[in-house]
Amino acid sequence: MSATAESAARRTRRGKPLDWWRWGGRIFLGFMLLYTAVPMIWMLLTSIKSGFAAMQLPPQWWPAEPTLASYQKLLDPQNSVGRDFLHFFWNSLVVSTLTTILGVIVAVPAAYAFSRFTFPGRNFLFFAVLLRNMFPAVIFLVPLFILMRWLGLVNTQGSLVLTYLTFGLPLAIWLLKGFFDNIPIQLEQAARIDGATRFQAFVRIVMPLSVPGIIATAIYSFIGAWNEYIYAYTFLNRNEQLTLPVGIQRFFSENTTDFPGLMAASFIMSVPVVVLFLVLQRYFVRALTEGAVKH
Amino acid sequence: MTRFTLGGGAILRGTVVFASIASLVSAPARAEPPVDLSKWSPEYVRSIAGTAEFDTAKECGKVTPLDYKGRLTFWYQGVFEGDPDLLRQYYKDFFETFRKTYPNIQLEDQALTYNDLLDKFRTALLGNAAPMAVRLQILGGTEFASKGYLQPLKPEDVGWSTEDFWPGAMKAVTWDGVTYGIPTNNETMAFIWNADIFKRAGLDPNKAPATWDDVVKYSKQIHDKLGIAGYGLVARKNAGNTPYRFMPQLWGYGGGVFDEASANPTYKQIQLNSAASKRALQASYDMYVRDKSVPVSALTNQQADNQPLFLGGQLGMMISHPSDYNVMLDLQKKATGTDKEKAQTVIDNMRYGLIPTGPDGKRAVVFGGSNIHILKPEYVDGGKVDEPAAKALICFWTSPEWSLKMAYAGSNPGNLNGFKTKWMKERLDSIKFLDVTTSMLPYGIPFPALPQSPEIMNIIVPDMLQNALTGAMTVDQAADDAAKKVEDLMGGGGL
Amino acid sequence: MTIATGEAETPRRSGPARSGTARRVWEHRADYAYVTPAILVMLIVIAYPIYYTIDLSFYTTPPSLQLKDKIFVGFDNYKAILTSDVFWRVTVNTLIWTLASTILSFTLGFATALALHADFIGRGALRAILIIPWVISAVAASYIWKWIYHSDFGVIGAVLVELGIADRPPNFIDSVGTVLPSLIVVNIWREFPFAMIMMTAGLQTVPDQLLRAAQVDGASAWQRFWHVTFPHLRNVSTVTVLLLAVANFNSFIIPWIMTGGGPSNASHIWITHIYELAFGRQRWGVASAYSVLLFIILMTLGYFYVRALAGGEKKGRGA
Repeated sequence: MSATAESAARRTRRGKPLDWWRWGGRIFLGFMLLYTAVPMIWMLLTSIKSGFAAMQLPPQWWPAEPTLASYQKLLDPQNSVGRDFLHFFWNSLVVSTLTTILGVIVAVPAAYAFSRFTFPGRNFLFFAVLLRNMFPAVIFLVPLFILMRWLGLVNTQGSLVLTYLTFGLPLAIWLLKGFFDNIPIQLEQAARIDGATRFQAFVRIVMPLSVPGIIATAIYSFIGAWNEYIYAYTFLNRNEQLTLPVGIQRFFSENTTDFPGLMAASFIMSVPVVVLFLVLQRYFVRALTEGAVKH
Repeated sequence: MTRFTLGGGAILRGTVVFASIASLVSAPARAEPPVDLSKWSPEYVRSIAGTAEFDTAKECGKVTPLDYKGRLTFWYQGVFEGDPDLLRQYYKDFFETFRKTYPNIQLEDQALTYNDLLDKFRTALLGNAAPMAVRLQILGGTEFASKGYLQPLKPEDVGWSTEDFWPGAMKAVTWDGVTYGIPTNNETMAFIWNADIFKRAGLDPNKAPATWDDVVKYSKQIHDKLGIAGYGLVARKNAGNTPYRFMPQLWGYGGGVFDEASANPTYKQIQLNSAASKRALQASYDMYVRDKSVPVSALTNQQADNQPLFLGGQLGMMISHPSDYNVMLDLQKKATGTDKEKAQTVIDNMRYGLIPTGPDGKRAVVFGGSNIHILKPEYVDGGKVDEPAAKALICFWTSPEWSLKMAYAGSNPGNLNGFKTKWMKERLDSIKFLDVTTSMLPYGIPFPALPQSPEIMNIIVPDMLQNALTGAMTVDQAADDAAKKVEDLMGGGGL
Repeated sequence: MTIATGEAETPRRSGPARSGTARRVWEHRADYAYVTPAILVMLIVIAYPIYYTIDLSFYTTPPSLQLKDKIFVGFDNYKAILTSDVFWRVTVNTLIWTLASTILSFTLGFATALALHADFIGRGALRAILIIPWVISAVAASYIWKWIYHSDFGVIGAVLVELGIADRPPNFIDSVGTVLPSLIVVNIWREFPFAMIMMTAGLQTVPDQLLRAAQVDGASAWQRFWHVTFPHLRNVSTVTVLLLAVANFNSFIIPWIMTGGGPSNASHIWITHIYELAFGRQRWGVASAYSVLLFIILMTLGYFYVRALAGGEKKGRGA
């Protein structure tokens, strides 16, 4: 571009030449917003209709008599539906939290080791851990079920926690490793010169610095465990143990579909993870920035 | 309802009274069934209702003493949110009453949905983690009996008699000459339509289509005149409803998978690609592709998806359970404002009739239901089966009183004596159309009692429908392809 | 990425200078303590199932026999799979599904990240809304979209009919030709936020000075993007695309719950097909052989995946 043309463009930077990009961007964002939000709005609208109104054709856009009955039913501990639903909620919470805590406990040292140490088999083990991601969960359903039987974990939430650990570990280790790689080793070296053992340096210096990475790992594990469906479906039988995704399936009985209830349940089920993510997303992005991207 | 003449009525009542006295005495083995199956009709059913008394606790106390101490794990197809309130209440009552009657039996029951039950039961067996007793849908039992998971079990073991149950049901629960379970309930579906839609389309609102060809015709008329779907076709794979709604059509035309519709089936010759079967498939094709008079979503629809269409006045007719009526009542009760009236309109316009016949007048319906089984100890979680406890529960569930109550809204008691209880009378009076569905029972044909049946009914038959309806294959090709798949399956190979 | 070494290692023991593996393992035994829990978990939960699956793939499991009475058939299962038409159709479906989902979610995610890069009022809220599909349960999403796509009373159909654009609701998931694209749209809906987040993170690392320098030098917006921004993002793009591809390959819930693989196998991908064979049709042997075939394919892809990761790390440093 010639110097004069460029200086002209610079002067009119707030004018026409850049608008194209910006307006295109705005329209695009508008479209993405619609694409993203409309299904969720429809879910919300359906959830406040009465059972019969939801089955009207053509569908009511805004319910003639909006009602929170579905939500009330789900959240009322006196109601049999509410009791079960709250129980599922609790189960999901327990399983996801356990998975997250254990996942962090297992992943952090491993990532640290892969980051700092050299030992025989290091590269092989690192990539073996990552490879886990490649195998579809479905393939392992039956052998894992039999394995859980051996371990005496059938029908317990422990079977889920153990399985979910392996889902989250590869990405967690990889994220954290990248994070640790970016923490200058001089800090630990300084601590060791001052007399700390390797482990103490790890705990007192490195861990506090890696809080964003740990939070990111925790979020990822939690969301994954919260939404997981097929293993929960296969491993759990008793009503009292079911997690939310499986429990929500209950709303589909053989002869009729309670759509408002299903949508309300889907909404309630999504709230914790969405809130969690929104509150902590800053850390997640930071972790990705520092952990995964900068090398 | 027609009235019967005094003469006929007196003889009928006489027979019934005699039978009921005999049943009260409850001799262990009887040559005659307690009700006369050859006289089966809505009138007959009404006439025998309320003619006998049964004391469940006393009967079952003879099998297992009421103070017996034990523990039982039990899985069954449960009732959930979408089921009628009335039925859910009876299920609650059952377990409460059982626990009160046998206070020292620790019962751990687990309710599962229809589609889940088979999956989970199979998975559990793989890990030797099955319950001691299980109530399975009729399609499932043979597979497990043939694999050797179930203990031999017959009605006599719990104080009833084989003649107390439908012959077709007993057939379905027998493998290789041995009986492996007891029927809890049997149901046959009926044909349901919206009288208002019929009227507006120019059809007689009070008459069901007489033959399947009429169904095709009516469907087209409804669609052409009113722009809505006529018949509620379903063709989803891996969903139990599809065979329940297609097989009556298939059998009606004179076709079948094997010879299961004949009196003494041998299941040797495949008939899925016979001319009669192809005609049945052609009827579906005509409705879906040629006339476009059925829901487009039929291919991914289960019956649960047809419901909203029917209840919204967007579907003219379909095969259905009597429980649909109860569901509508429940929804109407919970609806508010104008929705309440809309719901009432649909209820007022629901009509039931017998399932249409084929062109030769053959009427058929799937003889459905559930059976209750006991597992062999080595496959059970814990390695032991508490047989007296299991028998106590089974006696309870298959008793006249409870086999009726647990089947109140959508099925019929497996134990024929149930038809004579006072609750049956209540039921006939309070739930409309039940006499129609119960009168379909004699036309019931059970699925082939083979371990391959689940795959045939849940996968191969719907696949055939989908191949024909999507146009992936012609009707002939689809039927031939399905027949080949059945052949491969029976021969143990193929993908 | 260079390996952090040096003082972190345990000091060498005195003695004959042998470099045997056993000796090195012994020396580093403390290190293993850090990784043992992770390795142990992975081993238990992976090694046994892999062994079991490979073993079972050589047997057939007829419905009349218990699993333990299975019949040995050698490679028959593999032959049956590779010669069946259904398998090849499902393979094509899987390729279309994975490629389309991955490329489109990545592109949309990247574009969204770019569009959100400049700050404006409400950006935070917008970003928050856009992330939600990824966080929502796939089960919930499947039911919602199934309801939206419904061929008889779905929302899209209702809108089009009411606007007079069509006289019948369009057929999304009940037709062999349109079912896969319709499901892909749902999958993209769920996946693009992930790409958006990753690329947002990536964009934040593009050094401002370089961009400003380019601007001063007279580069247009597009040129700045192509010559400065994009090269910086190569690493994170690779990683994102690979993670997306793997996730899409293994994505089970959406196709299974929405259509069950139908109609007529038009929306079956490998993973749903295996599930149907194993759990729907009890063909454990065949399903195992199928899984082994998938292992092999994925291992091959995995090799490249891992090489790209390792390579990307090295390149990241250099760029």
